[in-house]
Amino acid sequence: MSAATILLLALIFGLVFFDVIKQLGSNRRSLYLEVAVFLVGAFFILIPNSATQLAHLVGIGRGADFLLYPIVIWLTRESLLNRRRHFESSTRITELTRALAVATAREQTRSPMPPVHKLSD
Amino acid sequence: MTVAILMPVRNEGDRAKETVASICSHAEDFGNVVVYLVDDGSQPAVALSDFPLQNGRFRLVLARHAVNLGQGAALETARQLALSGGQFSACITMDSDGQHSVEGALAMAHAIFDGADVAFGSRFLGRSKVPPARRLLLQAARLLDWVVSGMRLSDAHNGLRGFSASALAKLKLKQDRMAHATEITLRVSKFTHRNIVEIPVLIRYSPDSLAKGQRAFGALTIIEDLLTQYLFGEVP
Repeated sequence: MSAATILLLALIFGLVFFDVIKQLGSNRRSLYLEVAVFLVGAFFILIPNSATQLAHLVGIGRGADFLLYPIVIWLTRESLLNRRRHFESSTRITELTRALAVATAREQTRSPMPPVHKLSD
Repeated sequence: MTVAILMPVRNEGDRAKETVASICSHAEDFGNVVVYLVDDGSQPAVALSDFPLQNGRFRLVLARHAVNLGQGAALETARQLALSGGQFSACITMDSDGQHSVEGALAMAHAIFDGADVAFGSRFLGRSKVPPARRLLLQAARLLDWVVSGMRLSDAHNGLRGFSASALAKLKLKQDRMAHATEITLRVSKFTHRNIVEIPVLIRYSPDSLAKGQRAFGALTIIEDLLTQYLFGEVP
């Protein structure tokens, strides 16, 4: 087992351990999905030739490319979706803040308000 | 004649008070003037009692964004307040940090009174002493505005502008942050009937205003904001 394999596996199991601790007591369904994806990743790290064999099956030259293509497509989509969500949230915050500002806008009266006097402490 | 002045303010302290006081003391030169001051989340909040009392010629309307949104968002809030706040003959956008003079605002108002739909202030046509680094940045912004809007102006991102009431009604701003300046140029370029002029104005630079002004990194943020609006939002 190479040093890179050990480091990558340590990273995967470290992250899973961290996320298990962090999500104690909350809904863990996303954690199960993460563990499943990471196990697939660990499989390809441990047996790199399996990725190459699968790549050849579908007409791709290298195992790395077989994994890289869908990951790039997925990440590009996720990035755009996240940006859209952020843009829409920002727009809603702006509209809400503006509506509040317009509703509470004040104008000086000709006579300033009399000072408030404390009657007693 | 009534002039509406749209003025965003954020953490300007005494500079905003002095700017508004200066407008108040020249109110008669405008005819009547209404300042729509939008506090964009200053800490501490801007207080109405900090400003001159209204009189027959001068009124002040203060609104506050509960959180900081950006200068473009504050201008849009002020625009909406002005459009719902009664009739006016000209509308001026002006910074609150003391960079813009009342004389410049008056020149904008007179350009609109004389029939212009939109008046852009130009520091390069005026006698402004623009620091070299700022000059270079503004030339890049000019180029960007030209590419985006097709309008070739002598200045870019100058906050002193004048609009007729009908032009202001068509100018709904979507850019919350500094990209609003390019958005204004872009929206004005789409006006079908337009009489657009550039007016020489004097910009007073101070160490404070230079420190708060735009930087090269900010230019990248503007491009990113424009691209985001183009991809996901309403495009003029």
